[in-house]
Amino acid sequence: MPKEQKVEYSQLEAGYEFPPSSYKLDSSMVAMYLKAVEDTSSLYQDTELVPPMAVAAYAMAALSESISLPSGTIHVSQELEFIDTVSIKDTITSYAKVSRKQSRGKFHLLTIELNVFNQRQKAVLAGKTSFILPAYGEDT
Amino acid sequence: MEMGLGQLAELSEGMSLPEFRKVVTQEHINLYAEASRDFNPIHIDEDFAKKTPLGGTIAHGMLILAYVSQMMSAAFGRSWLAEGKLTVRFKTPARPGDTITVSGRISKIEKSEGQTSIHCDVLCRNQNGESVITGETKVRIEKWK
Repeated sequence: MPKEQKVEYSQLEAGYEFPPSSYKLDSSMVAMYLKAVEDTSSLYQDTELVPPMAVAAYAMAALSESISLPSGTIHVSQELEFIDTVSIKDTITSYAKVSRKQSRGKFHLLTIELNVFNQRQKAVLAGKTSFILPAYGEDT
Repeated sequence: MEMGLGQLAELSEGMSLPEFRKVVTQEHINLYAEASRDFNPIHIDEDFAKKTPLGGTIAHGMLILAYVSQMMSAAFGRSWLAEGKLTVRFKTPARPGDTITVSGRISKIEKSEGQTSIHCDVLCRNQNGESVITGETKVRIEKWK
């Protein structure tokens, strides 16, 4: 995944679209993921299937490489929809967009939409991730 | 379709999904950081984490959420991978040494022409009974047998 310059949280507004991020999956990436989450399901043994939560993790990683969030940021909620299976041979592209940024007292609520497609431009995953962050100047 | 819960027709509202437990270790958190490329120091740097209000490292929320997905794929097989949906809230951080119990219950079964949607309430709680993740899942299955 190419390294993009991180966007400061304070610069984000609803509607902001992050640069898309593509990456080629491979069996070693998936094996490391399965080991980390201790998933020994037969679904992934001797098959080319990728756990959908691994795809979500890669999309979140792409997002975290694009945005600079202050310390004290808390991941509060997550929505995910698995739309199609993903193969270890796939190249997936993740798109992220700020759908909501609200001020709530000393905190901000930031919601980002995620959409992931395979190399055939078929949607494989969609979701929303929400964070609570300290308001500007409240960074710890 | 794999159906860890048995035949689809035998499912009923109120039925529990097979529960399991996972012990969170720093080793697994570090591995998850590598796998997901999420190297936030709150997860992997004990010295940094000790100086924060959390007082120590915590697991990635998505790591614990992966356990929920495991429960769902164990119960509903490939259908979960291609037709699954979840909405959750992260309530309490999971820390190294925590034992996380992952559980779920079928809350609603919707049958329509050619397909069935199964709604579940899901929960991850720690050894103190505190909710770590709460939420709902939905999986669509093509044929009701």
